[in-house]
Amino acid sequence: MLTLLRLSMRQLGGKRRVALILLLSILPIALAVVVSIAEGEDESFDSDFINILLDGLMVGGILPIVTMAVATAAFGNELEDQTLSYIVLKPIPRWHIALPKLLASIIIVGPLIIASGAIAAWIGMGADPRISAAVGLALFAGVTTYSSIFSWAGLMTTRALAFAIVYVFLWEGLISSFINGVDYLSVRGYTLAIMHGIDKDGLGELSERVIEFPAAVGGAVAVSVVFFYLTVRRLRNMDVP
Amino acid sequence: MTTQSNGVIDVADVSKWYGSVVAVNEVSFQVNPGITALLGPNGAGKTTMLHLIAGLAKCSDGQITTLGEPVRNNPSLYQRVGFMPEHESVYGFYTGRQLVEFSAKLYGLSPLGEAVDRAIQIVGMEDAQNRTMDGYSRGMRQRMRLAAAIVHDPQVMILDEPLNGTDPRQRIEFQEVMERLASQGRTILISSHILEEVETMAGRILLMVSGKLAASGDFRAIRAKLDEQAYQVRIVVDEPRRMASAIVSLDDVDSVSFDDDGSIVVLSRKVATIQTTLPRMAQENGIRLTRMEPIDESLESLFEYIVER
Repeated sequence: MLTLLRLSMRQLGGKRRVALILLLSILPIALAVVVSIAEGEDESFDSDFINILLDGLMVGGILPIVTMAVATAAFGNELEDQTLSYIVLKPIPRWHIALPKLLASIIIVGPLIIASGAIAAWIGMGADPRISAAVGLALFAGVTTYSSIFSWAGLMTTRALAFAIVYVFLWEGLISSFINGVDYLSVRGYTLAIMHGIDKDGLGELSERVIEFPAAVGGAVAVSVVFFYLTVRRLRNMDVP
Repeated sequence: MTTQSNGVIDVADVSKWYGSVVAVNEVSFQVNPGITALLGPNGAGKTTMLHLIAGLAKCSDGQITTLGEPVRNNPSLYQRVGFMPEHESVYGFYTGRQLVEFSAKLYGLSPLGEAVDRAIQIVGMEDAQNRTMDGYSRGMRQRMRLAAAIVHDPQVMILDEPLNGTDPRQRIEFQEVMERLASQGRTILISSHILEEVETMAGRILLMVSGKLAASGDFRAIRAKLDEQAYQVRIVVDEPRRMASAIVSLDDVDSVSFDDDGSIVVLSRKVATIQTTLPRMAQENGIRLTRMEPIDESLESLFEYIVER
């Protein structure tokens, strides 16, 4: 499995892709610095910071965008380059192929996104380690869940990016704002609920619009496992070009 | 699951279709130890057939077994089978040696060094093994891909157009390698769209045309079988009556008739002969031959294949 993990890391960790992740990871930190200087005395600052920067920009934008750019390519590039046959005709179980691809996406995206969110929260939310930890852990859950979904999408269709964009911006962004129950089937909903569940006091602003903490954790785990299983099943059933 | 089979590779009534397109149509054959060539023009269904045999694609109908075992989702079987795909995509950032090592690791070989050295030596790439795959010529890349496919010393080798991009000297070397491996009891199935590439090394030939197995046997048997079939060929000339008179005098022609548009329809069992004779005859008689084509569309590819030779 390590052989495939190394290969996947090399495939996904191209300079351009890492540069994009770095750039997008720096953005929340830079914004946190700017707004904390500009609005430090404003009473509504914490609320705005959580709503706009953490929820809107980080969880609703950068997290899914960066993860989709990496995870859809985990299998998508292999299919496009027609190199998947070098892997699937080896005497290894299918899940030994799917797991390194998933782990590579998480390893490449996770540290930068988690660090970005945690540092931005540290700067913007009064250097509270509990809030930073809550943001970091929730982002880890988000990266893992999105990676599982988008890895599967990359194996299912050559238009995985389009699928990912529709899911993120239409389902999670638009529809979830009108229908409350959508958050039970939304990675963004899980991420925010986990964030809030870990530090209810520091992130109380989220309390009225997140689902229950156990439901969020259970949902994130279930979605990750189900899409991982679907990826393995797809590897078994598909015609490899 | 183990099924009863007679050949090392057993293809039984296999079809493969994609929507309404039939890529492989009720094909049956067996492959035994030695070198077998899967021949046919481009688009005949060779690659689809090899993908089905390798287990990359699922049969729409029929069954394929290798070494008595089903080929789909059977990782333990892949330890005994080596597959080299037609497309030349590789992990370009790997050196040739790294590609072979990568393959060896996934096959679970230990220690790696000896197996990797042996595979690279077989394809004669010792001197260039540390260059990146992107830096190789097409032929060198083919050889390294072959090394990666055979690094685990498989009992069965399935090689899709392995001679693409190789020069005449490399082909001779490749032939020697394949013959040596076949003499050790291995079963090798090689596809090609160029008969000359494989006719000297393959003990048996499978000829696919339009998704069907048109013929199988040794080269001479296939040519004989082709000659047994009658082909209708349409000829367009500027002087049809004079040309038709000349054609009826040929021994290899069964009948000659005229179509409504004035073209000549020739029925012959010696299509390979008439395709060379008729243009010469037209030239000798000062007749301008503007078109010569088969009428039976199902045989068009086969005809073109023969004509191209």
